[in-house]
Amino acid sequence: MASRNPVEAIRASTFESVAPRRLSVIRPPSLTRLNLPANLSKLFHYRDLLYTLTVHRIKVRYKQSALGVSWAILQPFSMMLIFTIIFSLFARMPSDGAPYALFAYAALLPWTYFSTSLANATSGLVSHTQLVTKVYFPREILPITYVFAALFDFLIASTVLAGLMIYYRVPPSWNALYALPIVVILTAFAIAMGLLFSATQVRFRDIGVAVPLILQLWMFATPVIYPLSAVPARLRSLYVLNPLVGLVENFRQTVLNGAAPDFYTLGLSAFISFALLIISYTYFKHMEATMADII
Amino acid sequence: MFDLKFDGVSKKYKIREEDHADASPHKVVRKLQSLWRRSKEFWALKDVSFEVERGESLGIIGPNGAGKSTVLKLLSNITSPTTGEIKINGSLSALIEVGSGFHPELTGRENIYLNGSILGMRRREIAKKLESIVEFAEIKPFLDLPVKRYSSGMYVRLGFSIAAHLDPDILLLDEVLAVGDLAFQAKCLRRIEDLRRSGTTIVFISHDLGAVQRLCKRALLMRQGEIVASGSSFDVVNQYQHTAADFSPPDLHGLLITKAAEITGLQLFDLNGKPTEAYDTGQPLQVRLEYFAHERIEDGVFEVLFFSGSRELISQFTTEVSGDPIDIEPGAGVIEFGCAEIGLLPGIYYVDATIKHRAAPEGSHIDWQYQRALLRIDPGRLVYGKFYMPHQWRHQRESLASHLAAEPAVSNVVS
Repeated sequence: MASRNPVEAIRASTFESVAPRRLSVIRPPSLTRLNLPANLSKLFHYRDLLYTLTVHRIKVRYKQSALGVSWAILQPFSMMLIFTIIFSLFARMPSDGAPYALFAYAALLPWTYFSTSLANATSGLVSHTQLVTKVYFPREILPITYVFAALFDFLIASTVLAGLMIYYRVPPSWNALYALPIVVILTAFAIAMGLLFSATQVRFRDIGVAVPLILQLWMFATPVIYPLSAVPARLRSLYVLNPLVGLVENFRQTVLNGAAPDFYTLGLSAFISFALLIISYTYFKHMEATMADII
Repeated sequence: MFDLKFDGVSKKYKIREEDHADASPHKVVRKLQSLWRRSKEFWALKDVSFEVERGESLGIIGPNGAGKSTVLKLLSNITSPTTGEIKINGSLSALIEVGSGFHPELTGRENIYLNGSILGMRRREIAKKLESIVEFAEIKPFLDLPVKRYSSGMYVRLGFSIAAHLDPDILLLDEVLAVGDLAFQAKCLRRIEDLRRSGTTIVFISHDLGAVQRLCKRALLMRQGEIVASGSSFDVVNQYQHTAADFSPPDLHGLLITKAAEITGLQLFDLNGKPTEAYDTGQPLQVRLEYFAHERIEDGVFEVLFFSGSRELISQFTTEVSGDPIDIEPGAGVIEFGCAEIGLLPGIYYVDATIKHRAAPEGSHIDWQYQRALLRIDPGRLVYGKFYMPHQWRHQRESLASHLAAEPAVSNVVS
């Protein structure tokens, strides 16, 4: 036993049974041959990397900062303060009867989740050039981990919403549970946009420069600081094509007002989000094949 | 049964040119033009086909830009081929530039998990191997320090150690052994050797020809995107060494060569008188120089010069300072240069030989033979450093008896 090959010893301890070998074939990239199920199974195989990288993103972000995790709260909270000062002290903005601070925070919460996700995910590939050109792993993991790290911030910041609701004595109803599927759809949409932007950013760095502007405009096209009811009725059918409208507005409705969601706008958002997710993923995997050459 | 198969694989890279004859003077317009203008094409690989059998170890050698790294990138799925098909039977891991997945802020332990998962390991698997990884990397006391506090040596050792614990069916190696100190390199080589013996298929891409010969049975020689030779690694390495040499003589201009005598042969021998080209540092070397003199040359001087692959003079030996005066009579003769221990560092050298008059003016020779022989030095008695010294070790032990005799007992230990 003493002279046993150390590698064999490791093998024997880790592989109780020898797994069958899998034959993989690498061919030139082609949209018709793109095999989504196979790609998803590969992503599933790398689920530990998804987890580890997400945890490390969170750790690294807060490791050497004095305020630590409070930063996750500070961003939506300070935005809420500013908007509350402007729109309830300087100007009167309708808030569907709720206190404006609560009204704004309930929308800023999902909005901040989305905007942080997209802003970070967009540069997710180009900020890891070293890795992308040296090692193979499903590249979509990089932008997706930024979305999941933002989801963590979202959960932390949600505690403040609960605090505000207690402060303003707004009791939640069972309808608040609709927030869960809404967050799932929002995550899908954020991943879809993240995949789309990050893959394009590899070829055109313009995207990275444009994202802050896009997000700024996008926020005003979403009912964050004003209610959906403030949008003129004739524009509304066009307006709700923005998936964030159905998501942000329904999040606020179900959590704050205890109302049932508007299934038309929510359904539309869900449909657009998941359709876009399939398209973005296909596009991303197509771009992935030659990503290392042009990054 | 094959583990790897390249079937008519080509890889084209596009190089976009912004500067063109009809380019617009405006920067933005020029940029837009370059987007639709046909870009320059560069074929990094041209119709490459080969197979690697299960358990085989294949070396790929060739000059820079031959397409070796492209083969590796295609195999590890970092990029896709332009045409052709690659079949991979089993799990494959590449050991390329270890440590590129480290995050400086995270601790060694966290980075082991991060890097391990990047390389495709499951967390459970990493947890099982953690102890062995740390032990191999020799970083146990620093495991919970951020890696930004690590020395570069620790960094590299940890990177290799993680990758070395992958246990893939197929392992790709790319110049990884050029990292860390030589003692750690030797450890890495042993590890790879263990993997090879336990049945891992290995593809080894390297400039270290000695390592390719040691590690691989078979080798491919690539040049400009094509396979130009394939066969036993010994033959292919030899062929590469001979074609790699630039046999066109350097600038003869300004050199006066009388050819009153000519060097007709130059051969290298080992201790047993066997002609060899490969030696280890610290081994003996014999150089045999044959000449033919057309006339009598009084007080002639012979020189042997060692040049590096990039034609840098490494060392020059001459009978002018280290030999007896020689009067060369007309006709054939032989001069022998002997050295008990080669002091050259591992690498490839070219040997020149000259004849000249004693105290001849600079640039005036009777004959100068360029790159008449090739010499490959592998690591031998040298472990690490910039030069080799002939040496012995002596172990001196003072025993009770020797104290009494007031004379130390000496036991000679030669490494």
